[in-house]
Amino acid sequence: MVTEIKQVKQVLTSGIKPIWCAGCGDFGVQAALVKALTDLGIDRSNVVLVSGIGCSSAMPHPFSTYGVHSLHGRLLPVASGLKLANDDLTVIGTGGDGDGYGIGVGHLIHTARRNIDMTYIVMNNEIYGLTTGQASPTSFIGAKTKSTPFGDIENPLNPIALALSAGATYVARAFSGDPMHMAEMIKNGIQHKGFAIIDVFSPCVTFNNVNTYDWYRPRVYKLEQAGHDSSDISKAMEKALETDKTKWEKIPIGLFYKTQKPVYSEMDITLKNGPLIKQPDPDKTKINSILEEYL
Amino acid sequence: MSSVTIRIAAANGDGVESSGALLIKVATRNGFQVFGYRGYQSIIRGGHVWYQIRLSDGKLHSHGDGIDILIALNQDAIKNQKSHLNDNAVVIYDPSKTNVTELDSNRYRLTPIPLLDIAVKQSGDPIMRNVAAIGAALGFIGIDIKVFDDVIRKMFGRKGDKVVNDNINVATAGYNSPGVTKAFDIKGDGKQRYSMDGNSAFAFGAYTSGCKFYAAYPMTPASGILQWFAQHQDKGVLFKQTEDEIAAINMAIGAASAGVRAMCGTSGGGFSLMVEGLGLAGMLEVPLVVAESQRTGPSTGLPTKTEQADLLFVMHSSQGEFPRIVMAPRSVEECFYVGKEALNLAERYQCPVVVMLDLFLSEHVESVDGFDFDSIGIDRGKVAAPNPNGGRFKRYELSADGISPRSFPGMPGLEFVSPSDEHNEYGDLVSDALSGIDEHVEMRRKMHSKRMSKIDTMLMNEKCFFPEVSNEGADHFLMTFGSTAQPATEAIGMLNEAGLNVGLITFKYLMPLDQEKTKQILSGKKIIDVECNYTAQLAYVVKANTGMDITDRILKYDGEAITPGEIAMQAADIIKKQK
Ligand SMILES: Cc1ncc(C[n+]2csc(CCOP(=O)(O)OP(=O)(O)O)c2C)c(N)n1
Ligand code: SF4
Ligand SMILES: [Mg+2]
Repeated sequence: MVTEIKQVKQVLTSGIKPIWCAGCGDFGVQAALVKALTDLGIDRSNVVLVSGIGCSSAMPHPFSTYGVHSLHGRLLPVASGLKLANDDLTVIGTGGDGDGYGIGVGHLIHTARRNIDMTYIVMNNEIYGLTTGQASPTSFIGAKTKSTPFGDIENPLNPIALALSAGATYVARAFSGDPMHMAEMIKNGIQHKGFAIIDVFSPCVTFNNVNTYDWYRPRVYKLEQAGHDSSDISKAMEKALETDKTKWEKIPIGLFYKTQKPVYSEMDITLKNGPLIKQPDPDKTKINSILEEYL
Repeated sequence: MSSVTIRIAAANGDGVESSGALLIKVATRNGFQVFGYRGYQSIIRGGHVWYQIRLSDGKLHSHGDGIDILIALNQDAIKNQKSHLNDNAVVIYDPSKTNVTELDSNRYRLTPIPLLDIAVKQSGDPIMRNVAAIGAALGFIGIDIKVFDDVIRKMFGRKGDKVVNDNINVATAGYNSPGVTKAFDIKGDGKQRYSMDGNSAFAFGAYTSGCKFYAAYPMTPASGILQWFAQHQDKGVLFKQTEDEIAAINMAIGAASAGVRAMCGTSGGGFSLMVEGLGLAGMLEVPLVVAESQRTGPSTGLPTKTEQADLLFVMHSSQGEFPRIVMAPRSVEECFYVGKEALNLAERYQCPVVVMLDLFLSEHVESVDGFDFDSIGIDRGKVAAPNPNGGRFKRYELSADGISPRSFPGMPGLEFVSPSDEHNEYGDLVSDALSGIDEHVEMRRKMHSKRMSKIDTMLMNEKCFFPEVSNEGADHFLMTFGSTAQPATEAIGMLNEAGLNVGLITFKYLMPLDQEKTKQILSGKKIIDVECNYTAQLAYVVKANTGMDITDRILKYDGEAITPGEIAMQAADIIKKQK
């Protein structure tokens, strides 16, 4: 959402300590989100952090904003409902890879194609953290987890390619090892008018000993520094599929794609008249005109 | 009170539905009270479909038992409908398409009319033969063809003169056919009424009470609610068709959390998918209205047929415990008021309210005199005042009545995280890392008790959670809930006419129930339970709440709507034994 920079001075922390293990990648995401919200200066009472269930979905609690910590996989419909009801809100989804790419993947496709104006941060650790280490949809072939003791045999889902094909209008990737870059990605995502998704490599230091900080660090490179044209969807898709070619030896992060399309609230016949919450209850004239239909 | 029952029967695609709708409009305009019910299938062409319309000079409670006028538009119509014909029934048919040799011409008034010929001659369109038949039916009932003119002009005026004139010419030719004369002694009172189905009445009622958000995935028989909101989106209510029912309920929860009045709706299959979301609304204490319009059977069942077999499922759906209200409107008119009331109850008690409809109630059309828009006001329940300089907001404050003031995003100073995990008064989790620690064990106990205590508050404040009785002094009683109250009402009339003194007990509210009061109402009465399911679910609810075992039962589960005649006949048999 395009936000006026008002620079509200405010304390963004609630005082609640996150539940994460020391070193968990989600701390990096928390820091980046604090920085993005601080830089943008959006009034905390207008921000809603919506999460699902998972370690990563505990994200709203350390914040002093509004939040809904919803069901496993259902953060996008809950977030959509909030945004459709009150278009003045800054709605940010924060969940895990199991949450968003597994149980809730159907909602991802449909929320992206609706281009609802919100930001969705997926903390992708290629594992189910909270349930103590089962395979996730992004786990690599061969990954040994509690649910794949003989090695994962399913192809990993490619969230960037999926988001692009579903019609997301802002598609980016970040890495918890670089919170400053991530803060930029989140900030730009919040300012983008439309559905923005940021897939974040957020290492699980307890249950994933393959995709660690040290594994990512030499592999990731920034698209911004590689001359990538983020306005071209074919180039974006090519970059999304690059990890297949390089067998994950080179991993692009940064902005894959950004485009401007009408957002849901500009197209919806009801929302054209302003945020739903500000619309009056129907008056006698409207009610009677409907009653007439049944004469 | 006298009534005439007309059944139009044909194949899908023959225009049965539009003919039925037309006849209802004409009859209502002529001051008749109407009750219309469709028998149809999940196919677009072929099959056997019918529309039964009953007209009367008094208030109707069902589409009636037998047929007085059959419009048979094909051979199947004769074959499938002959067992429903009343003596002296008029049978309108086209001799070029249909033979009636299997019908006794002394018993029925067989009326051959060249419907197809009339249609082609007057309009050039063979599909218009059903309009010719409607014209003839109007002649038999004695409705002035001028009323038909008026209705057609209003309905089709926008489509241009040709459509209007074709309809009028075809109907008039049918009306003037040889053999067509007034055959029923019945007259409308000329009063203007509205005709509406249960889905529309429910949606309209909710709309008038400020429902701003409806999310749904199409599923018969709840799709009528979806269509209502889709059609009225330009009138200040947002409708969202979702990717599935899981999204529908969670979106509605999101919208309700933002502070707008929100609903979702579906049938049993979709409700199965919504169940986790129902528990979420219970835990977050978000006001949410869910319409559940039942159809026949588990899984896909009979998608276009009726039943009342989801009652126990709806009452007990979701893991864990939380307060919920389950209501079952008993007529089209009541659907309207329940739409308003459910939103108030949901916001007053910050809990899900499930409104149980069924195909019969959702889709049958009734004439209603009008609605009292002001009888039920809008009550948004406890909402906190913005408090920019206060400390952290206790959204889930342990209040004496169990209801804690809400806040909505955007309100300064009242920020909180609404959590599906168990939580303390601020909304901080007491699960995961904290569970099992004494102070948090205590908080779980207190928070769960707080939520559950809303049930006592409801029972104390609302004084409505018990059955209603008519004819308190009767010797016997029929007991039922929801839509079956209507045919049961008419059955009572039949039984009383037969010299039996029978009263009626109906449940509009099923959960929670005031156990003392319910027991007091039912005690000492000879009761016959009437419901549309196999396991007598209402009787089960009554037993669970009062310990009383209602063992005399009339149960129907073949998918067809139960009729007054069926109830009265079986009740009369049971009453003989009850004496
Ligand atoms: C309907 C449902 N199924 C299963 C669970 C159990 N569950 C909780 S979190 C989770 C997976 C979490 O993985 P992810 O979303 O990747 O989050 P992470 O913990 O890795 O951050 C599962 C399966 C649940 N809460 N609800
Ligand atoms: S288990 Fe993994 S994902 Fe969960 S908090 Fe610990 S490190 Fe983070
Ligand atoms: Mg994960």
